[in-house]
Amino acid sequence: MGQPGSWIERAGVGFVRSCAVAAVTLAIPAVWAAAVALGMWWGPGNPWSWLLPVVLVGTGTLALARPVCRAVRLLVERWTGAVVPAGYRTPGPVSRMSTGYWWNGYGYERSRRDAVMDQSWRIRWSDPATWRDLRFTGIAPFTAGLAAAVPPAAVVVAVLGLLRPEPVARVLGALAAAAAVAVSPYAWRSVEPVAVRFLGPSAAMLLAQRVDELTAQRADVTVAQAAEIRRIERDLHDGAQAGLVALGLSLATAEKLMETDPERARALMRAARAGAASSLAELRDLVRGINPPLLNERGLVDAVRALALNSPLDVAVTADGPFRLEPPIESAVYFGIAELLTNATKHARATSVRIALGHSGTGIVVEVRDDGRGGAVAGGVPAGGGAPTGGRAAAGGGVPAGGGAVSDDGGGIAGLRRRLAVFDGTLELTSPVGGPTCAIMVVPCESL
Amino acid sequence: MRIVVAEDLYLLRDGLVRLVEAYGHQVVATAATGPETLDALLTWRPDVAVVDVRMPPTQSDEGLQAALAARREVPGLPVLILSQHVEQLYARELLADGAGGIGYFLKESVFDGDQFVDALERVAAGGTAMDPAVIGALVSSAPSNRRLDRLTGRESEVLGLMAEGLSNQAIAQRLFLSDSAIGKYTTSMFGKLGLTDDENGNRRVQAVLAYLHKP
Repeated sequence: MGQPGSWIERAGVGFVRSCAVAAVTLAIPAVWAAAVALGMWWGPGNPWSWLLPVVLVGTGTLALARPVCRAVRLLVERWTGAVVPAGYRTPGPVSRMSTGYWWNGYGYERSRRDAVMDQSWRIRWSDPATWRDLRFTGIAPFTAGLAAAVPPAAVVVAVLGLLRPEPVARVLGALAAAAAVAVSPYAWRSVEPVAVRFLGPSAAMLLAQRVDELTAQRADVTVAQAAEIRRIERDLHDGAQAGLVALGLSLATAEKLMETDPERARALMRAARAGAASSLAELRDLVRGINPPLLNERGLVDAVRALALNSPLDVAVTADGPFRLEPPIESAVYFGIAELLTNATKHARATSVRIALGHSGTGIVVEVRDDGRGGAVAGGVPAGGGAPTGGRAAAGGGVPAGGGAVSDDGGGIAGLRRRLAVFDGTLELTSPVGGPTCAIMVVPCESL
Repeated sequence: MRIVVAEDLYLLRDGLVRLVEAYGHQVVATAATGPETLDALLTWRPDVAVVDVRMPPTQSDEGLQAALAARREVPGLPVLILSQHVEQLYARELLADGAGGIGYFLKESVFDGDQFVDALERVAAGGTAMDPAVIGALVSSAPSNRRLDRLTGRESEVLGLMAEGLSNQAIAQRLFLSDSAIGKYTTSMFGKLGLTDDENGNRRVQAVLAYLHKP
């Protein structure tokens, strides 16, 4: 810090950044200024002299607003690491109807090009992000733009002053140069708070996004639920129901044979007993898949302990205190742990696993760590890292389960994400190739 | 034998009572909830009790808790636990006091009346009888059970059957071996598990405990 070398470097970097911020944020006011200058040059005498400048200001502002905002976002992210989500509306698919017309979600057009253009204009016009961008182009020049313009302006003053022969001007020039060096490292920084405050999605946009997310989740959950119910129906139909029918048949036959052939009747009854036992075993497995009885009888921690006991791996379970969760959350967390344990056994070829259940201030945190070979991929989406938008990232990562290079275990992980996302829970997976794999599930819940 | 039957579903309770009475045993009391079970166990001090795990009022593990509580009051009170599902976790909790007189079976084990009543009698005599499902789950897991690693295949087979509650004679029949051969296996097995000679029955319980516990 105290070294003169690093100081000069910081001033240099700051100066370049200030220039960039000033150039980007002042681009639109420059257009305005050019338009006004044009109007004045054309002369107040001409009754139509206002027309061209007004058109210029309007189209210039509209055309430049989005590129300027994109540039500001890019610069802020590159320099400070602060991610300002854009929140632009994404266009839906444009598809050709059987009538030959193209449907873009709003109306029919004769050609694909028209449909896409119509769609993009409609989205542009109705997207609240467009109005937010316009507001930003009005605010930024007078805040971050002015501040960032100080160093370049000071340099201009310094050059002009130092080139003049008068001593007063030279002193002023020297002072301006000193000021430019002193201010440079800081002048560009105001762009970050301004961008975060005015360029992020508004409350209404966040709400709209959340609604989209929830709609997608609801559709997902409904589909998953229906599939689950179908599976249960099929299992009951092919298993227990069929078993009971066979049982009834055997008993009916045995009843008939009782007098004539008691030996065969006895054999049939023995077979019926075995059939009843195997039907019961099937029902037991089915019940375990729906909701493990132990979860009901003992709660999450003991159910996880039982999972550990039944695992072929060396599994250690630690829990800080008892957990009384809402049953659906408990079930989701339980099946999540079961899924991770299965992955550790099947894919990671681990020999030991540590499961830690704990509280965070706002929910339950479960860490599952194995000593396997790692390399788990979560549905083609790189897991973790998206800390500021954790909930959304998890939900978004979970929704498109198909497509792309989804590895074998990725499907399970995507399903797990989806199940947790219903409760705004997240799964963070770190699994470098060569291992170890560490998965952290966090589910917010009040009832801890 | 004087028996207490604790089961909340009427049909099952009635069936159990009829089954044990058909084998000439006497049911002194029945219970349909956790508190009733504890009460019946402590008042009647039966020769053996048949207890369901899940019972009202909470529909959680009321029956198991009642049995454990009763055994804390009356150490070694013989209890045979019945359940729709068997859990190693429960098996361990039941065996933890090392007092014996414990049975733990799936409900369908009552399908074979002879075997069920046989197990009941063994539990009443202070033995241990575990459902093959508990044992089977254990054999497939627990790779890190080091003490048991030293047993030969035959010895662990004998130990597994012992955990199911079979006598030496029954084990011999099951494995088509002579009684004396089983005796030899059990002696060497006890030696490897470090169970010194005190009382034979107790040593069997200890061996089963060792079998059920990962180190």
